Amino acid sequence: MRITGGKVYDPAHGLNGVVKDIFIKDGQVVDLPVDGRTIDARGMIIFPGGVDVHTHVAGGAVNFARAMTPEDHRRTTAFIRSQTTRSGIGGMTPTTFATGYLYAGMGWTTVNEAAVAPLSAKHTHDELRDIPIVDKSCCVLLANNEILLDLLQDGEYEQAQHLVAWYVWAAKAYGVKAVNPGGVAAWKWGKDTGQMTEPVVGYSKLTPAKIVSGLAQIIDKLGLPHPMHLHCNNLGAPGNLATTLETMRSLEGHRAHMAHLQYHAYGGNDWNSMRSEAPALAEYFNTHPNFTADAGAVLFGDTVTITADGPWQHLLYKLTGRKWGNIDVENETGCGIVPYTYRPNNLVNAVQWAVGLELLLLIDDPWRIYLTTDHPNGACFWRYPEIIKLLMCSDFRKECLSQLSTKALKRIHLAEINREYTLYEIAIIMSAGPARALGLPQKGQLGTGADADLVIYNEDDDVQQMFGHPRYVIKGGEVVIDEGEIRATPPGRGLLVKPSYDETIETFLRPKFEDYYTISFDNYPVEMERVEQPTFNNCIETP
Amino acid sequence: MGGKVTCTLGEVKNRADFIVYWGGNPAECHPRHFTKYALIPKGKFVPRGRKDRTMVLVDIRETKSARASDIFLQIKPGKDFEVLTILRALVKDQPVDRSQISETGLTIEQLQDMVERMKRAKFGVFFFGMGLSMTRGKHMNSAAILTLAAELNAYTKFVAMPMRGHGNVTGADVVMRWQTGYPFGINFSRGYPRFNPGEFTTIDLLVRGDADAALILGADPGATMPQPCIDHLARIPTIVLDPKVTHTSRLAKIHITTAVTGISAPGTAYRMDEVPLPLRPALQTSYPTDEQIIRRIYNAVASKPDWMIHNGKMTSAQI
Amino acid sequence: MNTITLRLKEQPSVPLEVEVLSPDVLKTLSHAEICASSIRLGKRQRRIDDFFEVEGERSDQLEIHGDISRLKWVGRSMTGGQITIHGNVGMHLGAYMQGGSIEVHGNAGDWVGAEMTNGLIHIHGNAGGQIGAGYRGSMKGMQDGAIIVDGSAGLEIGMRMKKGTIVVGGPAKDFTGLDMKGGNIVLLAGAEIRTGAWMMRGTIISLIPIILLPTFHFSCSYSPVFLRLYAKFLGKLGISIPVDPRAGHYHLYNGDTSVPGKGEILIWHPLGTS
Repeated sequence: MRITGGKVYDPAHGLNGVVKDIFIKDGQVVDLPVDGRTIDARGMIIFPGGVDVHTHVAGGAVNFARAMTPEDHRRTTAFIRSQTTRSGIGGMTPTTFATGYLYAGMGWTTVNEAAVAPLSAKHTHDELRDIPIVDKSCCVLLANNEILLDLLQDGEYEQAQHLVAWYVWAAKAYGVKAVNPGGVAAWKWGKDTGQMTEPVVGYSKLTPAKIVSGLAQIIDKLGLPHPMHLHCNNLGAPGNLATTLETMRSLEGHRAHMAHLQYHAYGGNDWNSMRSEAPALAEYFNTHPNFTADAGAVLFGDTVTITADGPWQHLLYKLTGRKWGNIDVENETGCGIVPYTYRPNNLVNAVQWAVGLELLLLIDDPWRIYLTTDHPNGACFWRYPEIIKLLMCSDFRKECLSQLSTKALKRIHLAEINREYTLYEIAIIMSAGPARALGLPQKGQLGTGADADLVIYNEDDDVQQMFGHPRYVIKGGEVVIDEGEIRATPPGRGLLVKPSYDETIETFLRPKFEDYYTISFDNYPVEMERVEQPTFNNCIETP
Repeated sequence: MGGKVTCTLGEVKNRADFIVYWGGNPAECHPRHFTKYALIPKGKFVPRGRKDRTMVLVDIRETKSARASDIFLQIKPGKDFEVLTILRALVKDQPVDRSQISETGLTIEQLQDMVERMKRAKFGVFFFGMGLSMTRGKHMNSAAILTLAAELNAYTKFVAMPMRGHGNVTGADVVMRWQTGYPFGINFSRGYPRFNPGEFTTIDLLVRGDADAALILGADPGATMPQPCIDHLARIPTIVLDPKVTHTSRLAKIHITTAVTGISAPGTAYRMDEVPLPLRPALQTSYPTDEQIIRRIYNAVASKPDWMIHNGKMTSAQI
Repeated sequence: MNTITLRLKEQPSVPLEVEVLSPDVLKTLSHAEICASSIRLGKRQRRIDDFFEVEGERSDQLEIHGDISRLKWVGRSMTGGQITIHGNVGMHLGAYMQGGSIEVHGNAGDWVGAEMTNGLIHIHGNAGGQIGAGYRGSMKGMQDGAIIVDGSAGLEIGMRMKKGTIVVGGPAKDFTGLDMKGGNIVLLAGAEIRTGAWMMRGTIISLIPIILLPTFHFSCSYSPVFLRLYAKFLGKLGISIPVDPRAGHYHLYNGDTSVPGKGEILIWHPLGTS
């Protein structure tokens, strides 16, 4: 395939709207002209396919949320089946086939499922296999794994390292996720964590800070291509900036990817005094290059919150009286689900809406902050074009700000920010940057050897329209979307790593399984057959 | 109302010190439940096993499970919803009309004792069975016990879990939900999934005669369903896929013998707590699997000309 | 004003979904267009005139004759106009209705007026369950309007209703007023068990004694003033409830304390009864 005459935005190679032909062969970008179909892309804009570094689209938690929201399924977009496409439901918790169609329809071609419980990883992979078109990676939840916590408490870091590697491989994951370290374990007794330096409920010495730094070091030693993916303690709480900064300091230069940073950037002491501390957080972030982050931006409207942060969800249920779902997973983690509506006239929601945008605008380096909404927590992923418009058009931002109350305006800084994102920068935060953070060199770029995942837009002043309705989406060199129509639904690839570990960890683990789990050790690991087109990325060799 | 607070069975094994079985008879229907998960095993935080646990059985009659219980509450048939509603009120220190309590078969002392024990527990769990979910009130009985468990979390850790029936009901629920958004009773007539229990659920469809063909897989409605359903199945073209010739097979037009999933055919089963377990076949068979037969039927149907309107489009106006 | 008249000429073999039978849709259509309008027979698409003789066009007055007990979604989301049915009708009659009126000289299925926001529905025969209710998972049932059923009704009448009036002439089944958020339900012939279960607010009036949950408490016996006004409103709909204190009083029960809710159930006690 040849794509001729388009304006190419390929930030990994510094191409900022350069008119250039792209040649594709056997699913990859090549440097020599080829025959085959030609797409005349004159006047059009070409980006590498979107990469969502943090989303919740498959597995037990999302499926639980599907059970809880039939009313949303009824009122949302439905996909009608055809000879080549399956039926499905969009909305807050899209069904699997619909998830693939919706992401691809928007030009996103790789997604990272951010939270997988190893015990139900088979379920997650079965769902991922039913998501067409996009390539998938997933992060396995470990920061509340009691077997790991016991090892960290006892200072057994080497064993802990083998354990982490074993779990990553058993779950067929790509990375490691830490959610509210220690807090989800505390929730098993109905509690949460206190201070970063206070021992976790049930432990004498182990603190959240030690879990965070312990895991970060282990992941660096294992050389996982993606750093520890961290959802800090104290999510959503007024004044939690302090916890976030303390966490970042405790990492002492180790890499970390801060998830949905928006939820961790608040000042104030209580709901009434809550305010944005995005500038302070951005400043620290700007001067500490060991971090990447994704925005976790909020948009006004209905959604459903799905998170492993069980105690936070119980609190949200008590505050709102909305439906509440919770499942605790033995030895490993848990999840809480509460449908929620963000309203502009709610002071807290107004601050949250502003903070996501402020972080995106105040963090200098677009290579380190990425476009996400922590789907579906902040907003549904298919609303990303709205965020792009808010980032690119300060007039539109000001219009939206005028909806907020004077009280809210005093708590936020967004009105003072005039920066407008360029197309080049959008290409970074939606594709090139997250691909780099995930350690996926074949993604997020359009150079020779890259996976041929691209999105081609009709140029439009209305950027929301432009980004919401690509002209073409190409995945692995195949046209999957053509003017809004689904033309092909090839299966996506499962992206994996195989970190090395000492096999004697299994001797350590077998009795633990007998004692603490309720499924046998041999039935536990995810079988390779459950991963579609498994594709391996290498761990980083540590010198 | 709406939502569920639950956990995987290992959490019960490791933490639960207060177990309530409501409307179920695990000793006979889930024979390994006591020994593997809920009563006997020593758990990480329940080191003395049975000695560290209290088990309450709530049922209309004294079954074999009662022998394993510390407290047996014999409730009058059809009064579960009332008792659960009373408990919800008592937990919140709300008034209850005492004159009606004797009709439930229980005393106010028993109910108050129950409330105190539930609040004092470190980790309580309700396991509820068909005695609750299939008796008068049905889904509202289940909703009542789920809501009570959710509300108890204001005081202590509490969860609730249904004791699922056989045949990988949970697995079907899980897969349906990820593919369609809905757990059961799904209608695809308009090309997209729709859900409405009472309208699209099997017994209702068959009683009203709303279906003009039926394919039965892994179930035996001819043995279990009300007579009007069976009569309708006999009237319409019915196809049965089953390892055995069943009651339904005998009234069907076609019976296809298939391999037993889990014994001769591989797959994945989901436990009652939604933990996926691999099924590795132990025996060979010459019979095709259900999947093979369904794929062949599907391919034959797919090769016919497609008549579906709005082929492959999206609609933002579901009916 | 000219009326569109449909006479059923053939019974469908499986349920027919006929959401096009709404004044909003039909008022702009010509006779030919009405005949060609798409309806769903199970999974197949059919035309109106496959099942009906059609007379008239371009009207928001619709009359249907025949036993259409297998026809679902008549009057769905209508905002005005009138539908009169001479026969039985199927499920979801007037669901999501926003205005106008529907009259049925016959019985109706489940989900009459589900999630309606306004309008008037009058069933002269019996209705099924879930009248004026919220569909599964919805936080709200009907938000205004009036539904009158002269005959009996099924389960979960008025489930999660927020506002509006439901009147049932014959006995209703279990869970009348389940999880009610507001509005009024009038039971002229009582109901079975669990009436008002989990109600938050709203009023249920029963003219004969009914069984209540133990989480409802007798408050007092009186002649509520608001009821006299309400009786006038009901009178306009052709419904009569006793309000003369010389004839009797209402026993007021409050509940459901399990929520805890501030709902009221008023039960009529004629003078001379306890």
